[in-house]
Amino acid sequence: MAEPMELLCWGGDWDLPSVHTDSLIVLAYAKFSGAKLAVKSIDWTWRTITASVPQLHYEASTVTEPTQILNFLRKQRFNADYELTAKQGADTMAYIALLEEKLRPALLHTFWVDADNYANLTRPWFTSHSPFPLNFFVPGRQASLALSRILLTKAESPLLNITEVEGKIYSEAKECLNLLSHRLGNFHFFFGDTPTSLDAFVFGHIAPLIKAPLPSGQLQKHLNQLDNLCQFCNTILKNYFNASAEKRTDCSPTAIHDPVDANLQKLTQLVNKESNLIEKMDDNLRSSPQHRPHRH
Amino acid sequence: FILKAEAAIMVRAAEPWPEKATLYQPLKEDQILLSDSASSLAVQTFLRMCGLPVQVSCCANAEYMSPSGKVPFIHVGNQVVSELGPIVQFIKAKGHSLSDGLDDVQRAEMKAYMELVNNMLLTAELYIQWCDDYTATEISRPRYSSPYSWPLNHILAYQKQWEVRRKMNAIGWSGKNLEQVYEDVSQCCQALSQRLGTQPYFFNKQPTELDALVFGHLFTILTTQLTNDELAEKVKSYTNLLSFCHRIEQTYFKEHDRESQSGSSRHSKGSLP
Repeated sequence: MAEPMELLCWGGDWDLPSVHTDSLIVLAYAKFSGAKLAVKSIDWTWRTITASVPQLHYEASTVTEPTQILNFLRKQRFNADYELTAKQGADTMAYIALLEEKLRPALLHTFWVDADNYANLTRPWFTSHSPFPLNFFVPGRQASLALSRILLTKAESPLLNITEVEGKIYSEAKECLNLLSHRLGNFHFFFGDTPTSLDAFVFGHIAPLIKAPLPSGQLQKHLNQLDNLCQFCNTILKNYFNASAEKRTDCSPTAIHDPVDANLQKLTQLVNKESNLIEKMDDNLRSSPQHRPHRH
Repeated sequence: FILKAEAAIMVRAAEPWPEKATLYQPLKEDQILLSDSASSLAVQTFLRMCGLPVQVSCCANAEYMSPSGKVPFIHVGNQVVSELGPIVQFIKAKGHSLSDGLDDVQRAEMKAYMELVNNMLLTAELYIQWCDDYTATEISRPRYSSPYSWPLNHILAYQKQWEVRRKMNAIGWSGKNLEQVYEDVSQCCQALSQRLGTQPYFFNKQPTELDALVFGHLFTILTTQLTNDELAEKVKSYTNLLSFCHRIEQTYFKEHDRESQSGSSRHSKGSLP
């Protein structure tokens, strides 16, 4: 019997098997496709600073990055996307790109850049899960990586300041969540009744946002109003991770149908209005002569 | 404060499309690079699809004139808007929209596919131009800095290269090699090809901004000469994408002058094969 595949990832908390988005994606996909993984958490080891997580070890090879790991698992014949049509496969790629471009920056901001959340939740968690003396470095390093990623991809001059980018990335993230909710509708998973890699990606992105006890979470509040996405997340936790996922009190199954549509309509309008306002504010800023942008 | 600003801009946006709307991009023959040319063509296609006339003006410093630092940008009345996303919003505020007929799920799909193109195709184009040493030395740096004299040309070219490489680093593309990037482009084209199927446009009978964006990138890739033909070959292997490009070229660009069309892409090998 071949030795099992070993996965290195960040540990779990808040009812989740892992608090790290990319690790969650791989864990969820492994459950969906039936792959048996020996999960090793890197908490309290030196790997918190040396390893790029998640990391899959099998025989002699090492694979990193969720997309590469999923490809590798597919080659090992653990394929959760077997029943998808070609068009659905194409849709999967498109929605994953949407998640990466629109939702990821706001997630990074919520956990790593927002001062309240970082000081009260993220930094203490990562500090307590790293060995001495790395606990001084690990959170800071992650935070600066997150900040530079947001600035390099989203900040266009003259928006070189993080506060100005915030409005834009949060409104894009809310729009993305609305779009996902529209697409999911009343179904259990994105492509019918069995979960696929897209479900793994969406789960990995939204589960920390739903479950983490964030002190200041405007994105979390927005997400909590999208009942079908919360239900989606809880279903996966319950069925695949055997966690006694605490049912959110206002997330009862019977109340899904009508409130989903009504809420969604309202939220879509709100987000559209917000993004229009932000566009106009930006326009105003750019077209006024005293704010002529300087090239650095 | 917000209401006043909003009202002011609503008034301005409500003005009809003027005769002298202009689109700015870098110099066509010598300066413009693949990724900028693709973005510019996408915007031009979108405007043609909406039936809005625009003059294309080529300036060496287009990038610096742009409010966001990215080309192309359009100058309409007294508003300046850059990049396809904001331009689509701006034109929607003026009452023209190609995606009104889509329902919510279709709109979600359209946005997702546009992100796919931006995430994969555009990033791949940038990677090939600036992170591949051979292409950067032979093509990108000389072209980018051609309007300037020494030593400014060196400084600007290296600065741009450094910026792009930093961005690639931040999103995790710096670990990829050229083969993997070509593979990504191929997968992206495969997804687009499968989504398009046998339909004339991505959302059946009517073109949308997604069609404009895909056309902009694919047409530019097919008609631009790089150090090797691999990128174009990857796209060519999908016949429905080729006929899609032909169709849009015929429908929206055939009434354009022969002369300005063959000059519309640098290092052009003429029109589509």
